[in-house]
Amino acid sequence: MSGSLPGRRLSPLLACLGLLCVWQVAALVLKTDSFPTALDAIRAIPSILGDREALLNILDSLRRMTVGLVLAALVSIPLGLMMGRSRAVASFFNPLLMVVYPVPKAALMPVIMLWLGVGDVSKTLVIFLGVSIPIVYHSFQGGKAVEEKMLWSGAAMGLSAPQRMVRIVLPAALPEILTGCRTGLVLALITMVTSEMIARQNGAGNILFNALDMAQYDTVFAMIIIIGALGIVFDAAFETLRGSLVRWSEPQFDMPLSFS
Amino acid sequence: MSVVPLRPGVQAEPSSGHAQPVAMIEIDRVSQMFETSGRRGHLALSDISLSIEDGAFVSILGPSGCGKSTLLYIVGGFVMPTAGVARVKGRAIAGPGPDRGPVFQEFALFPWKNVLGNVMYGLRQQGVTRGEAEAQSRRLIEMVGLKGYETFYPKELSGGMKQRVAIARTLAYRPEVLLMDEPFGALDAHTRTRLQNDLLNIWERDRKTVLFVTHSVDEAVFLSDKVVVMTRSPGRIKEVVEIDLPRPRRRADLLLDPHYQKYVVDIEKLIDDVLDDELHP
Repeated sequence: MSGSLPGRRLSPLLACLGLLCVWQVAALVLKTDSFPTALDAIRAIPSILGDREALLNILDSLRRMTVGLVLAALVSIPLGLMMGRSRAVASFFNPLLMVVYPVPKAALMPVIMLWLGVGDVSKTLVIFLGVSIPIVYHSFQGGKAVEEKMLWSGAAMGLSAPQRMVRIVLPAALPEILTGCRTGLVLALITMVTSEMIARQNGAGNILFNALDMAQYDTVFAMIIIIGALGIVFDAAFETLRGSLVRWSEPQFDMPLSFS
Repeated sequence: MSVVPLRPGVQAEPSSGHAQPVAMIEIDRVSQMFETSGRRGHLALSDISLSIEDGAFVSILGPSGCGKSTLLYIVGGFVMPTAGVARVKGRAIAGPGPDRGPVFQEFALFPWKNVLGNVMYGLRQQGVTRGEAEAQSRRLIEMVGLKGYETFYPKELSGGMKQRVAIARTLAYRPEVLLMDEPFGALDAHTRTRLQNDLLNIWERDRKTVLFVTHSVDEAVFLSDKVVVMTRSPGRIKEVVEIDLPRPRRRADLLLDPHYQKYVVDIEKLIDDVLDDELHP
């Protein structure tokens, strides 16, 4: 444990401020149109958030991101856990995942657009694909690591195989699953923006790249700040949720009492 | 050994048709072969036959690798024997069931449940109402000496406390047989002794059938009615030693008892023989 509680609360804030300072100085030194100062970018934020159209666009993006993320979790967690518990399932899906893994999901976007159009379905599908791999992988690792004896104990109590999957493997692997979901959450935000970069129709990414086309660089950087801030807020919210779900596995619980 | 009366309502296997009381556990010519990376499979257990009466405390003792845990897993229904059959109350074992409760060296507690949640788990699974399950579990937690720790999570407990929880969790759903797989093997000497004493005290109350795997001769003699000494490669029964010491047993008295000492020395010699045979076949 390093630093007091207020210190730990303050340090991320200080890091953000430091970054903005470096930005401000760098922009003043470089003096190019395409690199507005941090203050200019921050000044452009209210006009974006005050614009009804822009807000609806951002909400559209977040809706697609949420749908993609939730669908990915619903498919990937059971798949990963089953791979973790069955060698046959793992050896069937592993090569498939290894093929999909290195492909940049946004690179599939043009093809998917040809099939499914430029609408919500294509973008949500790309988010789904981008998010699935880390969730599958972590669920797989988590499922594999579940102690056999724990499952035997459950079997002796009369839990059937499907019950053991839901009531023992799932909770036991939950810390690892949530680590995957946290990575997935950030990836969802990234693929959300890139999908809108390619399918330029609406959304947060569209605002960003339209502004870029029109050389409104303060708006471009304001959008980058907004997207970055969304990332921080989502991550912090998710960490709070994760903390309350798997408190039992946190390191501060790792202090056995001295009593036989 | 006492003769076990046939209780009403307990039906023996209809095909057996004999009038004799059925043993609680019957291991009948069981062999277990494991696949290995080598050309030949590894014969972990070879032609084991053993009969255990209701209410007996039986230890299986042997060097590591003699298949003693495998034998226990077969009775638990976690492992299916390659040959032979194991029966509980005359019925062939086809899988795990709440009539046989395991306690493992690794504790295998559910880390996301607190002490109370772990102990209640089996009762809730069997449809006992929450209130009733909680009341029973609290009594058991008190019995294993963990009153006041109900809301602690396994990670917060020492090894000895975890094993107390594991024992309470298994006793909770009232198995007829306790299957204990080196339960005190991971504990320090002091904790181990305390748990042995407490286990005997708990066992004296209702004398469940216990199958207890260990590699400690003292532990086996102190706890058991019968000690089954095994050899390894392949795992066979070398000898079954009846421990005729009065109960309830107190460790302090037994350590001075020449009968106890003789049992320990005799069994240690048996095990030395086993190891010598391996060196000079």
